Amino acid sequence: MASGCCTQTSAQGRAQGALVVCLAGNPNVGKSTLFNRLTSSAVETANYPGVTVGLNVAKARWGEQEVQVLDLPGTYALDPVSEDQWVARHGLLDWRPDVVLAVVDATNLARNLYMVLQLVDLGCRVVVALNLVDEARRQDLRVDPAALSEGLGLPVVPTVARRGEGLEELTAVAATVAASADGLGHGKAVRFSPPIERRLATLMRRLEEKRVELPYGLPQRAAALAILEGDEELVGLLGEGRRDVAADETPLAVPIAAQRHAAAGAIAEACSEGHERQQVADRWWRATTSPLSGVPILLAVLAGVFAFLFFVGGWLSALLTSLWTATASPLLTTAVHALFGQGALAGTLLWGLDGGILAALAVGIPYILTFYFVLALLEDSGYMNAAAFLADRVMHLFGLHGRAVIPLMAAAGCNVPAIMGTRVLATKRERTIACTLITLVPCSARTAVILGSVSLFAGWQWALFVFALVALLGLCAGLLLNRVLPGEPEGLVMEMFPFRRPSLRLVTTKTWKRFATFLRAAAPLMLGGSFLLGGLYETGLIWHLSGPLQPVVVGWLGLPPVAGLTLILAVLRKELALQMLVVFAVARYGVAASDLLSFMTPHQLVVYALVNAIYIPCVATIAMLGRELGWRRAGAITTGTVAAALVLGGVVARLLPLL
Amino acid sequence: MNQRSESREEYLEAIFKSAQSPEGATVTRLAEELGLATASVSQMVARLSSEGLVRRDEAHRVVLTDEGRAAAIRVVRRHRLSERFLTDYLDLPWDQVHEEACKLEHVLSDEVEARLAAQLGNPQTCPHGRAIPGEDGELASEEARPLAGLSAGEKSTISFVSDEKPDLLRYLSSLGLLPETAVSVEDVAPFGGPLLIRVGRARYALGREVACKIFVRG
Repeated sequence: MASGCCTQTSAQGRAQGALVVCLAGNPNVGKSTLFNRLTSSAVETANYPGVTVGLNVAKARWGEQEVQVLDLPGTYALDPVSEDQWVARHGLLDWRPDVVLAVVDATNLARNLYMVLQLVDLGCRVVVALNLVDEARRQDLRVDPAALSEGLGLPVVPTVARRGEGLEELTAVAATVAASADGLGHGKAVRFSPPIERRLATLMRRLEEKRVELPYGLPQRAAALAILEGDEELVGLLGEGRRDVAADETPLAVPIAAQRHAAAGAIAEACSEGHERQQVADRWWRATTSPLSGVPILLAVLAGVFAFLFFVGGWLSALLTSLWTATASPLLTTAVHALFGQGALAGTLLWGLDGGILAALAVGIPYILTFYFVLALLEDSGYMNAAAFLADRVMHLFGLHGRAVIPLMAAAGCNVPAIMGTRVLATKRERTIACTLITLVPCSARTAVILGSVSLFAGWQWALFVFALVALLGLCAGLLLNRVLPGEPEGLVMEMFPFRRPSLRLVTTKTWKRFATFLRAAAPLMLGGSFLLGGLYETGLIWHLSGPLQPVVVGWLGLPPVAGLTLILAVLRKELALQMLVVFAVARYGVAASDLLSFMTPHQLVVYALVNAIYIPCVATIAMLGRELGWRRAGAITTGTVAAALVLGGVVARLLPLL
Repeated sequence: MNQRSESREEYLEAIFKSAQSPEGATVTRLAEELGLATASVSQMVARLSSEGLVRRDEAHRVVLTDEGRAAAIRVVRRHRLSERFLTDYLDLPWDQVHEEACKLEHVLSDEVEARLAAQLGNPQTCPHGRAIPGEDGELASEEARPLAGLSAGEKSTISFVSDEKPDLLRYLSSLGLLPETAVSVEDVAPFGGPLLIRVGRARYALGREVACKIFVRG
């Protein structure tokens, strides 16, 4: 966990004269929907060094007032026991919001109020957005906003964020609270049991006596609570004299949590009416999670996802390719030749600009965009949780838990976003295992190579054989890593959200945001790789590389020398392996070589596609591995996959002729 | 208190606790619980057996005799009373009292135990929510069992959450998975898969290893 030294990194973002409003709340209560509704500007993400969960910040205008809205990660509490909770709390402390909008789910008030009470304890000024009141009404559940407001001592505004209802009143109330100088929005602090209150009083007195400096304008009671809850991080930030004050304190985190829950439950009880009714969504639940019906549904959904990827992605790919080759490509070619002549420089530029962008349009973008769309749809409908629940047992074999199934599926589109997606996993051990397995999942580029070479020239059975071997390798790697890596698997603790009808608008926004993140991370590497490749090819340097490779490529793998060259260079962009194979073969053996069978046997093609599918993922993947896991682990995964590819490739090359 | 009887009490307590787990008190499990080699556990079990405190059942598990059970319950009672004392009188947090109580349980005389119970107001449960056996050696209520042992459709009340992993304990408590909370099991995935539980109005999927750390009764 990162230390407190990085506070100014994100606090710098606070704009002069602007009102700072924080959105806080549990996951899946409509916080992000509210954020999108309240803000108009582009979203910026503030990051803490070493922490993967970010804070989203965007601007808004409430009448004449300029406003900065900060979206905290959705969490159940504000204890520093997990990364998201750490970030949520630091967002609150560093930005010192003028007002916090606590978004609570009217259908699950008791648990949601826990965090509201923590906000009050931290000394924040809070306005409660009682969201999903429509959902509650549908469940025959009535929450009285006035009674809730009375119980908490905070302003409460009922909202339906999805439809924008209640937002005007919410912003008006928030603005009033932010502008008022009295106690408005400070709420009623929880009264703990007499022994705890006694100790709090003693601690507050001692903080006063020792004149301990309190960071972030923290109230004394919040500092005393932090000491009593054993919150080492916050205590560490207290000024001089904290040692004397906190010296002999034994933490009481759990009793405090229990009493806060009890208080939240009592407040929720007092303002709610009605009872739960069996919902249609409930029946859906049973069907998706009970194994008999759930597993067939899961398989059907997976098949649907891949069919959608295949058809929609393929259609998009064809569309983008024809658009590019018909319009931009000729223009670009003419322009480059006009400016740089016909030499190696022009050729290199065209490799990078024309070839690089075309490859992105044909292979990367269509499938990744489509995949993100399906992923957002599945997440927003609530189905992802059911899949994670069913997959938990299988994932356990690899030392992972059910939630890892999501990034592993994403890897079939592209490894890069999948590796980013492993942030849902809590420990470094899990993330290392998941990332290794991800690199062994053939992405759309590698699948294209398998289909374009093996399936086309050697038959679909052989393509299936390659996929089966790669899957087998992944299985072994997972089992092995789970045994070898120190530590033990984390248990699954996951809230199962009710099914909701996904909103197209939100799904599209989410898809676009993720896609933009992916482009920023991968596009420079993809283009850079293309330029490098173009340079090597145009200058002829590339042929010098083939000599040293001979023993491995020809001797061990039994492949023609040109094939080895393309395997090495495919690290820049995997789908290029096949394109280059054709280009080089034509350059070496003449035009007839565009039929791969003219210089390679079906068995050689199988070995070729297999090695390409297993050995180091592309540079973009390696860079992402380095960023997420550190360079040591990224290096280990890279070396490991190269070794596995060479061993398996060589063995298969020797066994195939015997069959 | 001499070393021999202290370790005897440790064994009886461990056998008593392990007997409630699904696989029962096997020598392997006892070795794990006590942090000792299986060989020394076997040796001690043989000695206890010759003293008539334990016997082996048909599956070769270690079972307490009536005499052994009475002795074990006496230790459990002193352990849990000590925990109560440590939290209620000395303000020690309940996730820290277990180790201290392990030492105290062996040094209390009958007299001190009786006075302690009276002074504490004859509490029914330890700070973790587990029942304190009565003076007559009877357990007031059923013993807690792990949540993982429940089947779909069963309802229960959380008795305590194991304090082996403080961070997990804290995370679960922020979700409201606390002692005296009602839980119902909605689904259990087969082959040792996770459990789907409902707490209040929320549903959670809990991996089996997490569900083994949560103990319920009723």
